[in-house]
Formats: sequence, C-alpha cells, structure tokens
Amino acid sequence: MNPILEVKNLSVVYESSGFNALQAVDHVSFALEAGEFVGLVGESGSGKSTLGLAITRLQKPPARTNGGQIFFRGKDIRELDAETLRQQRQGGFAMVLQSGMNALNPVRTIRNHFIDIFRAHGHVGKSGWDARQIELMEKVGLPKETLARFPGELSGGMRQRVSIALALSLEPQLMVFDEPTTALDVLVQQAIMDTIKSLQKSEGFTAVLISHDLGVVLESTQRVLVMHEGRIVEDAPSRDILENPQDEYTRMLLSHYADPRAEVVELPGFPDRAGRDTGGAARTAGATARDGRSSDSAIVVDHVSKVYPPPRRGEQAVTAVDDVSFTLEPGQSLALVGASGSGKSTIAKLITGIEKPTAGTVEFGRLDVAQLGRRQIRELHKNVQMIFQDPYSALNPLHTVEYTLTRPVVNFGGLRGPAARKRVLELLETVGLAPVEQFAAKLPHQLSGGQRQRVVIARALASNPQVLIADEPVSMLDVSLRAGVLALLEDLRAQWGVSMLYITHDLLSARLVTENIMVLNGGRVVERGNTAQVLQHPEDEYTIRLLDAVPNPARARGAAV
Amino acid sequence: MTTTQNLTSATEAAIKPPRRFAFITRSAATLWANWKSRLGLIILACFILVAIFAPLLAPYGASQDGFERNADASPEHWFGTTAAGEDVLSQLIYGSQISVAVGFIAGLLSTIVAMVIGLSWGYIRGFGADVINFIVNLFLVIPGLPLMIVIAAYLQNGGLVMIVAVIVITGWAWGARVLRAQTQTLRSRDFVTAARFSGEPAWRIVFKEILPNMTSIIAGGFFGAATSAILAEAGLEFLGLGDSSIVSWGTILYWAQNSNALLTGQWILLFAPGLCIALLALSLTLINFGVDAISNPRLREGKSR
Amino acid sequence: MMYVLRRIGFFLLTLWAAVTLNFLLPRMMPGSPTDAAIAKLAQNGPVTDATRKAIEAQLGVPDGNIFEQYLGYLHQVITLDFGVSYTFYPQSVSEMVWQAFPYTVILVGFVTIIAFVLGTLIGVLTAWKRNTWLDALPTLTGSFASTFPYFWTALLLLFFLGYVLHLFPTSGAFGPTATPALTWDFFTDVLYHAALPALTILITSLGGWIIGMRNAMINTLGDDYVTFAEANGLKGRTVAIRYAARNAILPNLTGFGLALGGVVGGSVLVEQVFGYPGIGYLLFNAVIGQDYPLMQALFLMITVSVLIANFLVDIMYGVLDPRTRR
Repeated sequence: MNPILEVKNLSVVYESSGFNALQAVDHVSFALEAGEFVGLVGESGSGKSTLGLAITRLQKPPARTNGGQIFFRGKDIRELDAETLRQQRQGGFAMVLQSGMNALNPVRTIRNHFIDIFRAHGHVGKSGWDARQIELMEKVGLPKETLARFPGELSGGMRQRVSIALALSLEPQLMVFDEPTTALDVLVQQAIMDTIKSLQKSEGFTAVLISHDLGVVLESTQRVLVMHEGRIVEDAPSRDILENPQDEYTRMLLSHYADPRAEVVELPGFPDRAGRDTGGAARTAGATARDGRSSDSAIVVDHVSKVYPPPRRGEQAVTAVDDVSFTLEPGQSLALVGASGSGKSTIAKLITGIEKPTAGTVEFGRLDVAQLGRRQIRELHKNVQMIFQDPYSALNPLHTVEYTLTRPVVNFGGLRGPAARKRVLELLETVGLAPVEQFAAKLPHQLSGGQRQRVVIARALASNPQVLIADEPVSMLDVSLRAGVLALLEDLRAQWGVSMLYITHDLLSARLVTENIMVLNGGRVVERGNTAQVLQHPEDEYTIRLLDAVPNPARARGAAV
Repeated sequence: MTTTQNLTSATEAAIKPPRRFAFITRSAATLWANWKSRLGLIILACFILVAIFAPLLAPYGASQDGFERNADASPEHWFGTTAAGEDVLSQLIYGSQISVAVGFIAGLLSTIVAMVIGLSWGYIRGFGADVINFIVNLFLVIPGLPLMIVIAAYLQNGGLVMIVAVIVITGWAWGARVLRAQTQTLRSRDFVTAARFSGEPAWRIVFKEILPNMTSIIAGGFFGAATSAILAEAGLEFLGLGDSSIVSWGTILYWAQNSNALLTGQWILLFAPGLCIALLALSLTLINFGVDAISNPRLREGKSR
Repeated sequence: MMYVLRRIGFFLLTLWAAVTLNFLLPRMMPGSPTDAAIAKLAQNGPVTDATRKAIEAQLGVPDGNIFEQYLGYLHQVITLDFGVSYTFYPQSVSEMVWQAFPYTVILVGFVTIIAFVLGTLIGVLTAWKRNTWLDALPTLTGSFASTFPYFWTALLLLFFLGYVLHLFPTSGAFGPTATPALTWDFFTDVLYHAALPALTILITSLGGWIIGMRNAMINTLGDDYVTFAEANGLKGRTVAIRYAARNAILPNLTGFGLALGGVVGGSVLVEQVFGYPGIGYLLFNAVIGQDYPLMQALFLMITVSVLIANFLVDIMYGVLDPRTRR
C-alpha cells in the first residue's frame, strides 16, 4: 500500500534579519499510511508545530523550507501552485490550529463559516448545505442552534469543536491537529480528545496529533513520532514507545508520567512521599533556618464566599467561591484542586488581599485580610508570597534578575547596597541558579522557562515569608522541567518550614508536593483530606472525573492493542 | 507560535550583552535597520542642524530687508526676495528654528500630559476612571484646529507660547488613550502584581515597571504629537493668528498670500516653505514607521505573505 | 440595544459638555471679550439694552451671576438665537451660519466619505499585496501627501491649476454670473468651483486612511482565523475581504470618527485659501473681525456637527460588530 503522506529529508529554517538563521526542522523523514492515527510529540521548541505547518503548506515567513520533499498521494505539495493547493484542501489535507479558540472570524456566524467553505469548493450542492451543516455539528457534539451564533458567544471548547467540524466539512483524507486542546480546561480537553478519537474511527481519515503531552498522545494514537531539536528521534508504534522506548529522550519524557492514584508515586528526583521525612522533623529543621521570625500564624479561611457582579446587565451574578472554610497551618502544604472556573484562583486572590470576600472572613494571624489598609497589606505580603503561573509574564522583561530580587530585599528586609546584593546572591544559590553572579546580571529573555520560574520562586522567598501561594507554578513548563521545579518547592518548604497553598488542576503534581488536598467544583469544596488517601480512594464523582482526565501512558496499554 | 517564540528567545540569548540599556540600543538598531525610519532620521537630523546653525548658514539676517522687492531667483538671492524685500532663503533657514522648536516643545509637553493622564487613567478604577474616560473622549471628538482658532482669537497675538499652549491643550487626548490601553494590558501582567507583592509603592510600579515597557509607544506618541504640532503651528501662523512679526514657515506663507504672491507668480515663495513643513513632518512620520514596527511586530518588514 | 443606548447617552453628554465649553471659553479668557465686543458694535451705531443683554449672555459679564448667565445662554442655544453679527451688521448670526452651512457639509462631508472609502480600499490592497510595488507606491505617496499642510496643498493647486493653467476658478462657490437655483447649470457650476477645495482635502486626507487601514489589516492578516480560512482553502479574495478586511475595518472606523475633527479643522484653512463661502471661511472672517458672537456660534456648530458624525460612526460600528450587540 502506498503511503498517503511521505516526507523525505524535510528541513525548515527560520530566517529573519538581525537574527541567526534557525534550523527548526532538520532532515526529517517519515511516511503515513492511510487511516493511521499518528502522534507527533515534542517539547516547546522541538519543531513539531513547524513541521505540522509545513506538511499542510501553511507556513509563513520567516519560516522557509530549505530542503526535502513532501509527497501527498504521490505529488510533492511543495511544487503546487496556489490555486491547485487551494483546491487540494478539499478532499486533501486539513488542519485544526493550536489556538482553535481564535480560529473563527469574530464577525461571521458559524453558519457563514460553513457556507464560505462550501462556496469555495462547491463540493456540497446548495440544497444540501443545511443538512450537511447540521450533520457536521452533530458529529462534533454541538446543537444545531450553534450555527446561528457568533464565535464570541461560544465557550473555548465549543469553538474548538466548531473548528473541527469546519475542517471535517472539507472531507479531508489527512487531518493535522496541532495541540487541539492545549488552552482548554482539563475536563473539556478530555471530552474533545474523545470526540477526535471517535471521529477518526468513524470517518476513517488519517490523523496527525501534535502535542507536547506524551500521555495524551499515547492514549489516542497507534504510532508516535518523538521530536527533539528539529529531528525525529524515535518513530515506533505507541505500544513499543510505552514498553520499550529506544531513545534516551523518549525514556526521559516517559519517566515524568505516573498515575496519581498509584500506591507509590515516583518521578525523577522525587522519591515517593511516604519514604520522605515530611512531618515534624522538617518543621524543626525549618525553624532553625528561619531565625528572627516571630511565631508563625495560620491562615484561617472561614465561610468565605465571593460573588462577582453579573458580567453584563441582565445576566446572573457569578458565584466564584461558595462558603469555603479551611485552615492552612504553619508548615503545612495544602493542594487546592479543580478545573478552571472552580474558584481556586479566586481563593488565592482573597487570601492575598487582592480581592475582598462578599461573605466570611480570611484571617492571617491577627490580620483580617479583608480589612487591611495599604500598610498592613504590605505586612501581609511580607509573610504571604505568591508564585505565579506564567514565568514569561511574571518577570518584567526590562529588569535584570538582580533588580527584580533586590526590590523585595530592600522593601521588606531593609537591606541596602552590598548587604542587599549578598542576600540576592544567596537567594539565587537557594533556588539553584549558579553561577550566581552570572545569573544576577541576566535579563528574563536570556533565561529558559524553568530558570525564570526559579527566579520567581527566589523573589517570593526574598521577604522570608511564612506562606507561599503557588498558582499552577509548573503548568506552563515543559514536562521535563516540571519535576525540577516541584522538587525545589518541596525542598524549600521542608528547609524553611514555609506553609504552601498549592493551586493546580494537575493531580499528579498535587500528589507529589502536598500533604492535604481540597477538591473544588463550582466554588464549593466537594472533597478534602490527606492527598494520597483522597487520590487513591476518591469518593466524590467530580474527583473521579478529574482523575480520569489525567493523561496516563500506562492506561494506554489497554487502548493501544 | 510557541516555536517561533522560543526560537527568538533562543537567538536573543545567544547575543549576550547583559546590559541594562541593551533594550534601547536594540531599539535604535531596529530603527536604523528600517530604511523608512533611517531616511526619516537623516532628514530630521538635517533640519535640526540647519536650525542650530542658522546664523552660520543663512546668507542674510532673518528680517534683514532693503533688498529689491518681489525679486525672482538670482545668484544673490537663490530663492528671490519677499514683498518686503527680505531674502527668502535666509527666512526659510531661520524659519526652521521655529518649526523644530515648536514641534519638539509642544510634542514633548503633550506627550507628558498624555503620559500622566494615560497612566493614571489606566491604573485607577471606578468612578474616577469613568470621569477621565469622558473628558478624554470629549477632547478627542472636539475639533482641535477650530478650538485653537477660537482660543487664539480671544488671546489676540499671544505669540509662540500661546500657540504651544493651545496645541498642548488640544493635542494630548489621543496619546492618553493609547497609553491607557497599553497600561491596562501591562497592568494585568503578572509582573505588576508581583511588584506589589515585592512591597513596591504605586508610583514605583507605574514608573519602574509599567512605563519602561511602553517606551516605543511613548516615542510613537511623541513623534505623532510633534507632527501635528508643526502642522498646527504653521496653520495658525498662516491664518495670521500667531505673532506675524516672527519669521517662521507659516508666517512666510501668510505674508506671501497677503502680498498676492499667487498673482505675481512667485511660486518659490509659496512652494519652498510648505515643502519644508511637509518634509519635516514626513521625517517624523517615517521615523514612526520604524517605531510602530518595534511596538507591533506584525508591522515589521518581512517577505511577502 | 444596550450599546445604542450607551452611545446615545455619551452623545448627549458630550453635546452638553461642548455647549458648556462654548459658554466657558470666552469667560475664561483674560480681558473682557464682552467689552471688546460692545466697543466694536458701538462703531455701527448706538447699542440698545437688548443687544447688550444678548452679548452679555453670550460672552459673560465680569461681575454677573454665572448661573443666570448660563441659563440665558442655554436659552439662546435652544432657540438658535445667537444675536447679530458685528462685521456683517445687522445680519443675524443664525442666518449667516445657515447660509454657509450647506457648502461645508456638502464639500467636507462628501469628500471625506469618498476619501475614507477610497483610502480604505487602497489600504486593503496595500496590505494584501504587502511588500510589492502595489504596497510601496500608495503607502509612500500617501504618507508623504498626508504630511502636506492643508493650506499649502490648497495654495499650490490654486496657483498651478487656477492661476497658471486657468483650469479652475480661483475663488467662490459659484461664478459671478450664476444665480442660485435648482438648475443643471448652477449645479455643474457649483461642482466646478468645489473641485479644487475637494481635491485638496482628498489629497491631504487620503494617505491617513490608507496607512490606517493597511496597518489594521496587516494585524488581522496575522490573526488565527485568517490562517484557518486559508487552511480551509477559501479563495484569496474571500479571505482578504470577508476575513481580514472585514475585521480591520472596525478599528479603522473608530479612527475615522476621531480624525473627522482634524479634517474639519483642515477645511477651515482650505476654505480660507479658496474663498469658499462655507463655515470655515466665515469662522476665519469672524476671527479677523473679532466678531465674537459669530465665532461662538460657528464653533458650536462645527463641534456639534463633528459630534453628530461621530455618533453616526459609533452606530455604524455597532451594526458592523456583532460583539456590541450583546
């Protein structure tokens, strides 16, 4: 059987004036058989998206193919003229973009999107438009009323479904999905992946799933291409990748997956929690590390609710947090888990005084957080610090690492000049950024994502806080970097005796770094208890659904038969 | 997207001057690399040099009269003379001082006003923001030049100070709007929240965290404001609403029209001052092409789609 | 619906603010415009008490009750009674304004809309053909022409096309022999006289619309929905117009509303150069003759017109952007 797509020695380079040319895809060769479902996996910068755009001929300058061929049904698509290429998109190859949420024209209704495609290719007779549209919407699980809507009226998940339906309307033989679920909520992600899987089976198109998440890919595909630094380092059936990975890089990626429900959960650099000393001993050790700090205080959240006014007139008010109570004891680590919109980030804002609760109280020691004046907010922030989700946005691109770290040292520590600098270098040492002098002088864009997040952590530590609020601290990082940052957080907590509120949707990381857990759904606590216990024996249905949504290569064992 | 981002940051990391002002040098290099803004910079530099060295360059004094009236171009008077018997070339050279100075000062002042209002507007919330919103929108829709004309009419030849003041009053609103939008974008970035967690006072957050990230937009606003200031000043002078005794490009045209240069056919007298105004304004517009490309990467010169 | 109500609210509020600004302006000025105006009027003959009252209501009394003056002024505005002109004594100001108004509205309104539509179309073309000569030529000439001072373009056109080549009349809105009537001859005569002022406004304002639309469209061309439309094999023209341009028109329309004030201001200068008997020419003469009542009325008129135009643009924006309908 002839392959439907054959890529031979393909190279893609990024060339923009003023920068060195960058070989994003480097002599890549592979072939796809008709009807296959293939995963393309790599971390950020591996060239996987560039490759995806190249094989659908959607790449734009500064990207340029500088070698190799792409045969689709025996013809090199690099040679096609614009019009032939355009026609080829019906019944040929289609693409669902990474940012499917923005892939729809905000001023056209969904129906018009379909009609544009039907008009462009004429493959559906005008009398069949309505029926075909409704059929396609059903296939992606949307009601036909959606057709009359504008994209702005749909949720992110619905928009991504519309994108898939639009791509499907082309009746393609090859579909490329570029990170189709990345920007979506965990549960929505899983639902959309299910839709894609069943569509691929029922429609029989050849599919390429591009993803950074090996877990997701192994769960749905039959074969996986692992990409690293522009090259395909491994190309094997999913089952072999899982059971007998050949390449070291693949093995490394795999090692970062584990089932949060397992008895024993271990990641590289992260022995199982049960074997670690997490209790009182750590706290005593911590106490000595933090001399000069007065007695520690707990954060007491007491029957707190937060209701936001309706987003638009005539709509319902939004209850983000609904009667939540908990206490974060000194030295404790507590996970706050839920899908987006569950109210977990709002709780962080309430604790740090950024937002005020509509009902209930938040207390830190003798401070009533909702009643604080400017000066007391400062005192609160000296003790309660925050680690942000996006390391790319959390550092001012114009300030050196030293400046960023000096500010809290000056403001809270009262240190000046050489003393402040000494403290800054100590902080860098603590978060493992050595040689410290060199890192101090760097600007954020000269650091990798993981290094940036370490700087963010160092800044949070600068005031010698009692509480760290970590809001999804690793969700923006590549899988291989996550364990390192998590291990750092865990070490710091043990050494410094800091308590930590760990906000995440990622149950695996919650299992790794927390003792206790609270599961939030729609602003309410649906389950709480010891992390390992709750995850091993979940009782609430919502917790179970969250656990099911965790991508897990091991589970793929069953699927990939 | 992620791929490209990572690629650029990777290449940037490869060039490694960890200097504080690396950003400014980089911007300057970007400006210079864009041929449009390079041309603009060169033209602007010429005008500034002419303005500074006017006394050395001009063959005669600015208001030195007593030459033959309404003379055509000749070796003594390259561009001819005015109806009052002044040397046109010398007037043009001295006139550059007024335009350059007014453009610079009025542009700078309205940028400062725009900055103060735009930043505080973007930073505060609630009723205060609504009030500023209304005032800015009001100033945006009220036609500037007619307002200038009316104010100038009441003030009766207030001279350059009046003109600059009027230009600033009517010209800050656009910049304030742009800066406010940018402030709001930056304000929602985590590093601003992080600065609050670092114990930074509000003024420091505004001036040290937010403001430096808007340099290119502020520069764009400055060049834009300077351009309209130069055009407005010339317009007011041309209408005879400024101080018609000074020598500026606007007054040369004012006197030319009053002395019926249209009928006498002295086209140089009409052509040259206007061309100077247009060229000076063009140089700033060209520079802004480059500035825009810094603040909006999509506008950067690249190969065709 | 919410959107339209909000825009109406904003319109009424700005209208009130503009009227009030017009009231405050002469009162904030150093010296006393009232005394100057009455002195000026006295040259035409004795000033009656009624006239004096009217001027005081308009321009202010140094020691008067500001609130009472404001009410008097509002009354004047609502009844459109702005007193008599000094320079064209004893013509009423309202009458003069109404005579001049149609010329400007037709000239500026018509040309501006043409310039905007034309500039937008060219802008679409330049962005679509980016980095070809079809882009470079309009962009560069457009941005060069937009830096021309209005009055300079006017002078040059007048000089070369009017005085040297005698292709067009050099002043006025219609010829000395024509009589205003609804005839074809009069109509063509008016068009003929409006040609140069119109050309001036077109030349100087076109570039701005081109650049504005080009930049807006280059932005939308980078948006994901354009890439997705291409991935779905839509025809080039559909992508360019229904996707990229259709979205780029929105910011450009906002820019149009805000730039209107500048065009109207520029037309003051243009009318002055061509002796075109519109609002701007009248304003210039009022200023030169220190005819404050006329000047005040004209400024109010210009401001209100621009406000109305902006209101219309806002409504149009609402029609074009489904996101405002929620």
